[in-house]
Amino acid sequence: MSYKIQIDDTIREATSDEAARIEAQRAEAAAQAAALDAKAAALVSARQKLAALGLSEAEVAALLGG
Amino acid sequence: MGANATTSVPSYVAGEVLTAADLNVTNSGIPVFADSTARTNGFGGTGEKTLAEGQYAYLEDDNKTYVYDGAAWKEVGGAGLVLISSTTIGSAVSSVTVSNCFSSTYDHYKITVNGGAGSTPENLQMQLGASTTGYYDMISYINTGTPATPLSTGTNNGSIWARVGAAMTSNIMADIDLGSPNLAKPTYFRATYPYIASNFPGVAAGYHNVSTAYTGFTLSPGSGTLTGGVIRVYGYQNS
Repeated sequence: MSYKIQIDDTIREATSDEAARIEAQRAEAAAQAAALDAKAAALVSARQKLAALGLSEAEVAALLGG
Repeated sequence: MGANATTSVPSYVAGEVLTAADLNVTNSGIPVFADSTARTNGFGGTGEKTLAEGQYAYLEDDNKTYVYDGAAWKEVGGAGLVLISSTTIGSAVSSVTVSNCFSSTYDHYKITVNGGAGSTPENLQMQLGASTTGYYDMISYINTGTPATPLSTGTNNGSIWARVGAAMTSNIMADIDLGSPNLAKPTYFRATYPYIASNFPGVAAGYHNVSTAYTGFTLSPGSGTLTGGVIRVYGYQNS
């Protein structure tokens, strides 16, 4: 994939090395976002299970934050 | 040199007959010099005032007024933040590098981004110079949905700071305070995280654990491209 990069006021196509760096950094960011999504999903699941056990919203918040 | 510029601040003696040129120098008020070298040469010579505390001077090369405190020239009314560079983001670019904005003049910097748009809602990432290792950060935000859910995560020795702002389709937003990027010491930052697309207000902070001095940085979206908006870099006055 090609990328346009800007260096100060100049815009040009990224070299292969630069493109590889962009892709590596984007992959790292995507992995971190996926981990965060999983964490958010686990929090929602935990809230639902605690509510099913009879805990109030305030009690769930005290346990999980929020 | 401009019309008001002088190379000497004269000292007159009793009974001396003054010329029109002498009076014009006096009439200029604060003496105006081309640069700091001309200012240094303008005092203390034959027929010149001896530099002393309370003396003012204006320099044409930086358009600033200075006062001598008895030991050094200090800028008068200098702003706390000084605009160093302003870079307009081009069309559909995957990254923007701002070069030569960090120097020994300032220890601490503020970077702001406003305007423009991301092609898709994304995090704004930041890299110092060409360094792709040693980045540590934390992001803490709240999913403001019902129930509101606080979330946090971090980067451990990553290749980039992953969240220093947000590239939304409505606006590219960043407000980053950056410490010691041009010192051969670890660099650190604090930033806002306005991820409007998902109703995630938050903050980020971190450090770059490499003791290298950098002169520039690169901002990029986590995916997609950036179009428009302005990246401004300010330096905090050291004194």
